[in-house]
Amino acid sequence: MSVTGGVGQRIPRIDAEAMVTGKVCYAVDLQVPGMLVGKIVRSRVPHGRIVRVDTSRAEQMPGVRAVITGLDMPDRKIGLALRDATIVARHKVRYVGEPVAAVAAVDERTAEEAAEAIDVVIEELPAVFDPVEGAQPKAPVIHEELGSYGHSTFMARHYNPIPGTNIAHHYWYRRGDVEAAYREAALVHEETFRIQPVHHGYMEPHVAVANVEPYGRVYLWSNTQRPFEVRKLVAEMFGWPEGRVRLTITKIGGGFGGKITPWLEPIAVALSARAGAPVKITLTRAEDFVTCRRQGGRVRVKSGVAQDGTLLAREVEIHWDSGAFSDLGVSVSTLAAISSPGPYRIPNVKVNSYLVYTNKVVAVPYRGLGVPEVMWAAESHMDSLAHRLGLDPIDIRMKNLAEEGDVAPWGEVFHSIGVKECLRRVKEVRERRRQEGDGRGWGVAVMHKFSTPGTMSEAVIRMNSDGTLLLLSGAPPIGQGCETSLAQIAAEGVGVPVSQITVVAGDTDATPFDAGTFSSRVCFHSGNAVLQAAREVRRRALELAGELLEARPEDLEIANGEIYVQGAPDRKTTMAEVARVSHMSQGAPIIGVGAFRGGGSFKFDPDTGLSGRAAAHWEYGAVLVKVDVDRETGKIDLRQVIGAHDVGKAINPLTVEGQIEGAALMGIGAALYEEMVFDGGSLVNPNFMDYLIPSALEAPDTEPILVETPHGEGPFGAKGIGEGPIIAIAPAIGNAVYDATGVRIRELPLTPERVLNALEAQA
Amino acid sequence: MNPEVTLRVNGRRYELQVRPDRLLLDVLRDELRLTGARRGCETGYCGACTVLLDGQAVHACCLLAVRAGGREIQTIEGLASNGKLHPLQRAFIEEGAVQCGYCTPGMILSAKALLDENPAPGPEEIRQGISGNLCRCTGYVKIIRAIQTVAQAKGGGRP
Ligand code: FES
Ligand code: FES
Repeated sequence: MSVTGGVGQRIPRIDAEAMVTGKVCYAVDLQVPGMLVGKIVRSRVPHGRIVRVDTSRAEQMPGVRAVITGLDMPDRKIGLALRDATIVARHKVRYVGEPVAAVAAVDERTAEEAAEAIDVVIEELPAVFDPVEGAQPKAPVIHEELGSYGHSTFMARHYNPIPGTNIAHHYWYRRGDVEAAYREAALVHEETFRIQPVHHGYMEPHVAVANVEPYGRVYLWSNTQRPFEVRKLVAEMFGWPEGRVRLTITKIGGGFGGKITPWLEPIAVALSARAGAPVKITLTRAEDFVTCRRQGGRVRVKSGVAQDGTLLAREVEIHWDSGAFSDLGVSVSTLAAISSPGPYRIPNVKVNSYLVYTNKVVAVPYRGLGVPEVMWAAESHMDSLAHRLGLDPIDIRMKNLAEEGDVAPWGEVFHSIGVKECLRRVKEVRERRRQEGDGRGWGVAVMHKFSTPGTMSEAVIRMNSDGTLLLLSGAPPIGQGCETSLAQIAAEGVGVPVSQITVVAGDTDATPFDAGTFSSRVCFHSGNAVLQAAREVRRRALELAGELLEARPEDLEIANGEIYVQGAPDRKTTMAEVARVSHMSQGAPIIGVGAFRGGGSFKFDPDTGLSGRAAAHWEYGAVLVKVDVDRETGKIDLRQVIGAHDVGKAINPLTVEGQIEGAALMGIGAALYEEMVFDGGSLVNPNFMDYLIPSALEAPDTEPILVETPHGEGPFGAKGIGEGPIIAIAPAIGNAVYDATGVRIRELPLTPERVLNALEAQA
Repeated sequence: MNPEVTLRVNGRRYELQVRPDRLLLDVLRDELRLTGARRGCETGYCGACTVLLDGQAVHACCLLAVRAGGREIQTIEGLASNGKLHPLQRAFIEEGAVQCGYCTPGMILSAKALLDENPAPGPEEIRQGISGNLCRCTGYVKIIRAIQTVAQAKGGGRP
């Protein structure tokens, strides 16, 4: 019996009406009575010792209610993995834009004037901006205390810093013997790729509002992707029990990984505590640009291949540009390194991944968690191999791509791997179009993307007294539509129309724990928790209905809000009646609880670095693009993008397509236009005028293709889809440029200037 | 003493005293509590703040409130009439053109200004018409489709 709005149905978002009418409260819209305006004073120096932060003038200004410096914050470093970050610098600054002080005042103007009145004196130190240079033994050291930092338990066993250097973490693994394989190979080829820093460009700025009640609770509102993690870190920093802090998320205007770390919440808390009033901090766009970015860096790939294209060996060396702190970089640099050889069968592998501090804006999770960087290298390289051997780029991939049951380069066994099917689907398109006369300018790339291992989601479904359901989930919707897909899973699980379900998300007082929205994990993890809770509600409802109808629960069916005896549809009751009886007569309200911990772990073989299972699930996909290249101007005209993605099961095809289309354009931005340009550590383009996020004019014709290879552990077979579709875009475009012109460009973005230079070098 | 301005917003008159350097966006949001227009940048490049001024899409972050005096301002809050959604609003919902929704009010208003002037835009004209509104979530695919369906329903619009 299918339910209205259940799993697999292409229904509009359940929250869309409020959004198209403007009746939604984002964090920027939040007003709390008596609220002050907070402003941050930031370092203008990339690396230096703080000599003095003089706040005396600011403190005396009328309307100023609180001023703090790093010394007023608890002396505890925080971090998502490694506890290496000061939220407000104490003795040292490590990047231009790092907070050194903050003020709270009665209005925006006063706060700005007070911030300007704070006198900061910093003695400059030699700085490091490039991760490869930064990893050298003689480079100036950014974190003298590296080696003594605390860290989260999830990474306790494999955290591997090199104290005395800027290498915050070195992860490596080995399989077989690459050197021996090179001796057997018909071709050994090595290339070096570079990836520029890019910004997330979510449309809503970072915002935090804090209200610290002196003897009571601490209320926080923010647009974070991980409310429970932020609550934990804030409580830890201030030495409070977690339960004292209530974090409620607002509607979130995009995140893409940029809204995880609590950069603002602790500052708002400290200001509010001092001022004795609520404080709101809203970043300007220029501030957002110095608050987070993608790692980027340098990737070297070397492969040994047989004459027929069979991959024999692959080596990858990565230098990640982590910026001033490591944030989640330990996890990113490990899991992306694991992924770096690609979803292929390769018997001999050697991978080295270095997470390197630099004196730049902190790199944080960004849609794809490092895999866009490593796949730019690996999938560009795969085309180079094909061309050197005279093979078709699709054929060489087909030959080497893994299948269900194969062993991955890093040791785990592939499951739910629909990548070949994705490639087949895009190949069909290419062949058809070539026959129609569209000869050149085609590029293809495949991808895989881990979902972070070992993370937890819980869900609660409560039956209201009228039989409708309240779904409580800790996972913040950040635009991808998870409130809708989770409601669809709940509807399907219980057997009621989706209209009967109200979703409450991301309130640490109201909802159960969830690790949060990142790593394409919500549909899979929270979805599983919701399904479990829904089944529990169904079981309880059927039990009770069985009593009312004098029938056995297993003989009952639920359809659109009614419960009836199978084969005797007249013997029926309603969800409303069940709810009434459970609440009123029995005093045993129906509540379903679900919990799901994703598989995999950060446990690696100490001798080889190999992993038994590195991810909760893997996304797979293949992207085909068509470009024209103007040889006069170097301009790449991206005509079409076709993205075939294995989603396991599309809970809602409409929102799945939205993820594929949106991620594709974000990938195009990073491939063709976007670059954070630094000059001596200062970002020179912190605005949308100079930092070019694609507009509708740059959006090519995009066609999503959905492939469904069910995952054995996914809810209804579903996997994630939030990140995968960005990953293969850049290499597919680079490969298409090669197909059109015969030049290989190894550095992003593919600007007209780079294309022209490459064409000139070719001539 | 701040100058007095009459703002006509969504068919209502507001007599306000407004500091001469205040932006229309801030007055709409802070004084009138119409928060559908939002700030996404400081440089006039994102379009999240779009409102209609005498039917033309403008960036409310780039306009002094006093300059809008006496002119007809429409914000997203005034688009649905008598609880009935505007066809563009319905199309955005049905076509899945909304993700995080932050850009949505501005996007819809730009689309309205476009369709009011050109009821039968082709895809390129639609792209041009919304090129002042950035969306980081959708890739614009479903936004363009939503606008096309409305144009076609009006008897215009090439597929
Ligand atoms: S707020 Fe960005 S254009 Fe107005
Ligand atoms: S829907 Fe998020 S910016 Fe457009």
